Amino acid sequence: MNANKLGDLQINGIGSSNGGTFNKVQLNGKGTVNGDAECTIFECNGAGVMNGNVKAEKATVSGSAKINGQLTVDEINVNGSASIQENVQMGKMTVAGKATVGGNLKGEEMTVNGKVTIDGDCEVESFKGEGAFMIGGLLNAETVRIKLSGESKAKEIGGQQIIATQEKQALLKLIKSFFPNKLEAEVIEGDEIELEGTTAQVVRGNQVVIGPNCEIGLVEYSGTFFQDKNAVVKESRKI
Amino acid sequence: MSHELISKKDLLDLTGISYGQLYRWKRKNLIPEDWFIRKSTFTGQETFFPKQKIMERIDKIQTMKENLSLDELADMFSPTASSLNLTASELISRGIASETVMNFFLEHTGVSGEFPFDQILNLYMLSSMLESGDIQLDEGRMLLELLKEHSKQLQKKDAIIIFIRKLGISSCLILMNGEDVFFEKGTKMVARLSITKCMEELKTKLL
Repeated sequence: MNANKLGDLQINGIGSSNGGTFNKVQLNGKGTVNGDAECTIFECNGAGVMNGNVKAEKATVSGSAKINGQLTVDEINVNGSASIQENVQMGKMTVAGKATVGGNLKGEEMTVNGKVTIDGDCEVESFKGEGAFMIGGLLNAETVRIKLSGESKAKEIGGQQIIATQEKQALLKLIKSFFPNKLEAEVIEGDEIELEGTTAQVVRGNQVVIGPNCEIGLVEYSGTFFQDKNAVVKESRKI
Repeated sequence: MSHELISKKDLLDLTGISYGQLYRWKRKNLIPEDWFIRKSTFTGQETFFPKQKIMERIDKIQTMKENLSLDELADMFSPTASSLNLTASELISRGIASETVMNFFLEHTGVSGEFPFDQILNLYMLSSMLESGDIQLDEGRMLLELLKEHSKQLQKKDAIIIFIRKLGISSCLILMNGEDVFFEKGTKMVARLSITKCMEELKTKLL
């Protein structure tokens, strides 16, 4: 793609356009793009609706963007709210606002500071969660690091290293009874697992550490196993 | 074809690879998504794999990963055409096809200049069937016709080409997704060729 020769698509105020190949797509105000769009830079500052697939090198969503199709992007920052109806293929994604994905998400690096909902699987190399997430399928990453805040859920979590920690501030303890900071999953599998504040039916791993405030049905470990005195583990076995 | 399944737990145990490694290979597309079969068991959902395929694949990855990077490996296992273009003489010198087969191929397909990957694959399949003596030239023409007509389906997973012969009359067909196939009495299955396997063999030869 030779970006020098391509024009920009800019919508200020209310407007709509057809898709195509652009250098920069900028939606300020209320813009609608009908059809697939391919661009170097995608920016949505107002309320943007893309009726088609979007392919971009760099994307920033500061307002609210709705993509009725697939998104393929090298780097994306969501500060406002982004909703993608189908699959997302990305390099790096940072969500400070809110993001919803209707299909699967695949990529390299995912950082969640706000809220993320993914209906399918989330497969990345590194997953950092400090906000809340709901994943309908499998959360799979080389390293999964979660600082619990609010309620997060995934059907399954898998990875080489999985660490979930709870903040230990007094103030948070006070509000905790109203807003429990917890992580919920049916199965958590990995090589190294350290959990706090987690509810799961099965935890399976090589080195497993079950920290405080956990409720686990079954722990299966092949290497070492440690259980905090404030954790409930119904059954544990070495395999 | 064996449909025996192996659970993820047993697989990790048997091969000595870690959970992280298995899923890293999956993310790199070294192991196809549809080999991960979900089944419910008494502890909830479990993942199973087609035993023979996954064991072969892991064995291959483990032996080859010393020489190739994961991305190169992924390219090799991927069912989509790779970006390789070679000329007829290069293909002959690399032993993909003999000169006779090459001439026959050129005559019936009209490919000229550089061969794209899917044509190299067709050539390789034709060559391996002809050279093994399973089929004769006339049937080779049939094979090329078949490959040409259904070239889109062939890029998909698990296509198998079968040659049958009855009372000296032969026919060939493509089987998708490894389904079972049954023949009338007296039909002889002359040759059976898995396209995925051919593709992997070919890529090892070309690399």
